[in-house]
Amino acid sequence: MPRTIEFTDTEFMIAQGARLIEDGKTIFVGWGLPQVVAMLAQKLYVPNVTQLFEFGAIGPQSVLPFVRGTMGGPQNTFRSLQWLNMNWAFSYSATGYMDYGMLGALQVDPYGNINSTHLGGTFAKPERRFAGSGGGNQVASHCWKTIIVIKHEGRRFVPKVDFLTSPGYLDGPGAREKAGLPRGTGPHRVVTSKALFGFDEKTRRMTLLSVLRGLSVEEVVKDMAFRPLLAPDIGEIPPPTDDELRVLREEIDPARFIIRGEKMTAIT
Amino acid sequence: MTIDRIRTEGEVEYRFTHPDDFREHVRDRKGRSPVPKLVTAKDAVAAFVADGDYIVYDFSSLTRGPQSLIREVIRQRKKDLWIGAEFTLHESPLLVGAGCATRIDVGFLGYGNYIGQAVCDGRVKAYEWTNGGLALRILAGARGVPFLPTRDLLGTDNMKVSAATTITDPYTGDPICLVPALNPDVAFLHVHQADVFGNARIFGTNLFALEAALASFRVIVSAEEIVETDEFRKDPMRTTVPYFLVDAVVHAPFGAYPGAMPARYEIDLEHVDRLNAIRNDEQMGNYIEENIYSVADHDEFLDRRVGAKRMRELRRRATIVEGYR
Repeated sequence: MPRTIEFTDTEFMIAQGARLIEDGKTIFVGWGLPQVVAMLAQKLYVPNVTQLFEFGAIGPQSVLPFVRGTMGGPQNTFRSLQWLNMNWAFSYSATGYMDYGMLGALQVDPYGNINSTHLGGTFAKPERRFAGSGGGNQVASHCWKTIIVIKHEGRRFVPKVDFLTSPGYLDGPGAREKAGLPRGTGPHRVVTSKALFGFDEKTRRMTLLSVLRGLSVEEVVKDMAFRPLLAPDIGEIPPPTDDELRVLREEIDPARFIIRGEKMTAIT
Repeated sequence: MTIDRIRTEGEVEYRFTHPDDFREHVRDRKGRSPVPKLVTAKDAVAAFVADGDYIVYDFSSLTRGPQSLIREVIRQRKKDLWIGAEFTLHESPLLVGAGCATRIDVGFLGYGNYIGQAVCDGRVKAYEWTNGGLALRILAGARGVPFLPTRDLLGTDNMKVSAATTITDPYTGDPICLVPALNPDVAFLHVHQADVFGNARIFGTNLFALEAALASFRVIVSAEEIVETDEFRKDPMRTTVPYFLVDAVVHAPFGAYPGAMPARYEIDLEHVDRLNAIRNDEQMGNYIEENIYSVADHDEFLDRRVGAKRMRELRRRATIVEGYR
């Protein structure tokens, strides 16, 4: 029997992000949302994924619920395989051991360049100032495939980022290698609260791959300040499953600090 | 070999010390003899932190950060500090809000609403290095070399607003980024255990505790617990820094409060929420007055502003001990 389910845009974004992670791989996890995505993935789909955190926790099996705001706390480092520090953590990505990186962003451009530093104005006199790179630059520079998790809002999908904090494909094909970044690395997927994007092999531009079931391509594209390429066969993404929602709401974030957001519905 | 400098020297202000100057400081000013160094936080900060200093610390206000030392710096109204803010959270807003810090080398700028506005208002200068960039600068300082190369920061705007330099790598011929060594004036480390001479142990992860202790001119350790030196000799694998790097040891139970001290006490999220909620100078002033200026020291802060009942509760909540013992 079809029924209507309710969820938030954030819950959808987290759930579809979790489905992208491959078992048996390594993933360098950024602050906040990426942590929750990795927790959900590990809980439901990929028990043998090894998470790495920039403060030097390797392969933790984090204690739930997620403690909001923390990354280096004891819950998040529980039952790690190894405890080190930051210079060593980045050594694992710098030598090619990290299959995936997962990062949030303030803004992203058609080449997957990430801004997490400031919005508007200039660097010296910004309109709004944010935390900056943290370890995001190192993750985006060195992991083989970077996944960006970002709310689907027009002001976040911009033709040119206000500040290039963490490198995507810079200004096009070959630009990363020319700049001195490691060969064969770069953004792989952009997970949003409405859709999933990849990057075109030839042009390295962001390409719409699939949309949340029930949404049209136009509904997705109108909420972006640039027009992405469209994959020849745009797929549909199922809404969050009962299991995904249960684990998110009951085990990972019962206080709904992370998962709250705009209400959405879908027929399942 | 052509050296291809993309950045022009001197465009961006940065802290730098010639490695030989640092070595001479170590030769002449750092004691090797194991003398007791246990002092109060007040004396340690008065003796080893000066106006204008560059300060670096390990970890953050949420986890094992040296919060009692940061509060003491504010209490002593130090001025014109330059902070190495790798993974900093509430330390930057507090130090800027209290008028102590005027420059921040950013890995992670800080948490809450206050600090971003302070940058927009031009009250504090920010330089972008990224967490990895700052960690590598400290490692260079700890290795006694003037710079280290890295394959990150390349291609980004961080390059234009830090003193990182791109040159042609003499081995591959590809572009490579260099970051200058960083030798801070002072490093703060909050640790689980120390002896009176300064041997110190951190249980769990760290950002760059040993590197920061090696690279810094002066090192203040605050410790949850003071233990016998024999404890270190029984289990040397667990020594984070040896005594001769350390200038002062402060006994500071609950020294990471309101953050968590892994296996000892949990984060006080309600207190952290109060810090996160600070939006303007008035709120910042009230917070600092209540929690820092109006109490004489860390002990009085714990007695009057936190309380034995709350501390018991936070201790009780620290149920994760595996791996930390």
